[in-house]
Amino acid sequence: MTQPRPHDITQLLAKWSDGNQSALDELYPLVYDELHRLARRYMSRERRGHTLQTTALINEAYVRLVDQKNVHWANRSHFFAISAQIMRRILIDHARRHAYAKRGGGAQQVSLEEVAAITPDPGRELVRLDEALKSLAEMDPRRSQVVEMRYFGGLNNEEIAGVLKISENTVTRDWNMARAWLYQQLSETAAN
Amino acid sequence: MNPERWQQISRIFKSAISLDPEVRNAYVVGQCGSDESLRAEVEKLIASHEQASDNDFIGGIAAEVAAPLLVDEHEDGPPHRALSDGQQVGSYVILNTLGAGGMGEVYLARDTRLDRTVALKILAPDISTDKRRMQRFRQEAKMASSLNQPNILTVYEFGEVNDLTFLATEFVDGETLRDHLRKNKKLKLSEILDINIQVLAALDAAHEANIVHRDIKPDNVMIRRRDHVVKVLDFGLAKVTEKRHTTVKDEDSEAATAFKTAPGMIMGTINYMSPEQAQAAAIDERTDIWSTGVMIYEMVSGLLPFKGATDSHTIVQILEKDPVPLTNFTQRKVPAELQRIVAKSLSKSPDERYQTAKDMLIDLRALKKQLDVDAEIQRTSSPTTPIAAVRATEVRSELSKRRVLVVALVGMAIFIAAIFGIYSWRASRAKQNKPAVDAPPAPVAERTLTYWVTVQKYKDGKPYQGPFTLAGEINFEQSYQIRVNVQSAQAGYLYVLNEGPESGRPEFVVVFPSVTANNNSPFVPAKQVVQIPDKTWLQFDSEQGVEKLWLVFSQDAVPELETARQYASRQTRNLITDAGQNKVVQSFLATHSTTKPGLEKGETQTTLKSAGKLLVYAIRLEHH
Repeated sequence: MTQPRPHDITQLLAKWSDGNQSALDELYPLVYDELHRLARRYMSRERRGHTLQTTALINEAYVRLVDQKNVHWANRSHFFAISAQIMRRILIDHARRHAYAKRGGGAQQVSLEEVAAITPDPGRELVRLDEALKSLAEMDPRRSQVVEMRYFGGLNNEEIAGVLKISENTVTRDWNMARAWLYQQLSETAAN
Repeated sequence: MNPERWQQISRIFKSAISLDPEVRNAYVVGQCGSDESLRAEVEKLIASHEQASDNDFIGGIAAEVAAPLLVDEHEDGPPHRALSDGQQVGSYVILNTLGAGGMGEVYLARDTRLDRTVALKILAPDISTDKRRMQRFRQEAKMASSLNQPNILTVYEFGEVNDLTFLATEFVDGETLRDHLRKNKKLKLSEILDINIQVLAALDAAHEANIVHRDIKPDNVMIRRRDHVVKVLDFGLAKVTEKRHTTVKDEDSEAATAFKTAPGMIMGTINYMSPEQAQAAAIDERTDIWSTGVMIYEMVSGLLPFKGATDSHTIVQILEKDPVPLTNFTQRKVPAELQRIVAKSLSKSPDERYQTAKDMLIDLRALKKQLDVDAEIQRTSSPTTPIAAVRATEVRSELSKRRVLVVALVGMAIFIAAIFGIYSWRASRAKQNKPAVDAPPAPVAERTLTYWVTVQKYKDGKPYQGPFTLAGEINFEQSYQIRVNVQSAQAGYLYVLNEGPESGRPEFVVVFPSVTANNNSPFVPAKQVVQIPDKTWLQFDSEQGVEKLWLVFSQDAVPELETARQYASRQTRNLITDAGQNKVVQSFLATHSTTKPGLEKGETQTTLKSAGKLLVYAIRLEHH
């Protein structure tokens, strides 16, 4: 495996933020590999009582991949934006596996008492949120992106505004609308 | 839902939620007109918006939700090897579980060979099965065990028994600084300084041995319950300093990253990370200076200097922002000097920080002394505090009976001292803080002492004119307050004793040194100005007579006076009440004052010169 050089990543980021979409295609697998590697390493080291911080992973990837001296704030935001997307994938994959593992890897007879004892499962909640977010993206890609960056990537409104080239007020409004809609979707599917 | 419908809903929703609830309904009705289903959609969404806000729906970040899942997943894997009480690991017998640390489980154990209690860390399998990392650990443990400093947790042994890899260290019965901070929201400045002075002493020793800690934070600092001695932990995790940053080859990157990255970096402790660590750049011992600065900042203000909404923001702050000065916080008065020290340790560029732990240690120590002294001044000189008032009365009534020179606690003293005395005294204190204090005096065949007397006139109980200096041997009015200043040409041992006018049955007061003067040490460096008394003033209490102020300046400590001053330091106002002790002093002074020193009297000062190792002289202060 060849380690991507900070210089390459930095250039790809710059190209991407200049609107070059093919740069993103090149960038994505590089960042994914790095984040996934870090996440795996993290999990192998995970101890009870510690909290996982996605943004710490992203940061570590960032400081490792990106040439600090030649990066602009805009590029940094773009890096976090793409990382948010990737972290969403990594987390959801794990949440899915977790939900599957809990069911014991297949259909099982469950007694009524057991069903009643089932508490909300954070993994399932996350998977459902991801599905709702996909539906939102079909109608309104930008609002879905705002949620992705904020919730999965830990970006703040100012950074999101920078990446999407919209005002911070718009980010706030998008967030309100998207969140209300997602909440509604999740409450409805939960009721079913 | 089609995009047009979505746009329509979102447009009305957007405006509606910005309106007050009373007018909102009317607005929605107006916008939707006869479209009942549109109105239902919008209203449903507004209700969801309110509930989502109330429940703080997706208010955090996904990782918080995902973290327990990852832990669960891990727990599904091979469980940690747990040791039970009484189990033997080599020559260690497990006594109890202490908890889980960064490297694995920690147990309280008994070393049966040396019959001592130790903390036994059993390294987690993922660490102990990685040969490359193990080799590093072995090397580091070896380095760490070579560190022998009271503030560094002692590493006894790093070993392997069967398939267990363990690290035996000193067991500290106490709490981590993290827990200590949690329990005590606001530590005293003196305690903060004290703890960090010890941390820096530990770092100084480690840096000397070329070991950088790399992960200084309150969790790695322990305070021993019994005596509050600070122990810095986990030097075993530190990386041996590499003077040059080596580029890591691809094959090595996995193992190397584990070390290249500060331990715990992805565990959420980035707040103490230096800019160079945040950038994964080459680091050296100056990274520990930074982390100590962060720790002091946190201990003083209760806030972390660099803390963003997320870790990415924190990193940006570490790299780019200057923290709010400690002096801006209102909950406590922070000395400007402390702010300077912290700001210096938090310079973004390592070159602008303290270059060594020792330099920072010296500054903190000096500041601590200064604060102790200021507190003492505050305590002894404020006329408004009842304690001081009582003390003053006590002093006067008690000492007037004895007709000796009174070490008066005078209300105005601080005012005059502020104008005149304190600053020069501070300067002398600063000098005294230099390491030279501990150096033994060089043998000199001559003793030279210069003294002058500072006088503050009083009239109707108020200071009258500014204070002035005299060469001594002058008549004073009873109400005057005076201070004697002594400066020696050589380093040596200085004792100043006061003998009252009733010379028939002499009683001595040890005026210098004392607990509050020169830290109870008679040793003074060359050229240092000593003020006697150093914080208050002397005032005649007897109506008239001659007070003697004995100056004894010696190349070596004087055994007779050592015994006397140690006795006096336990007495009220350093007064020697024991007849036997007084006799010893009297006989010593009588024996050695027969050879009078050479005397040069100037306008404002007097210089005494004596051949040999000892100078004894009595300044006569006549008053009426």
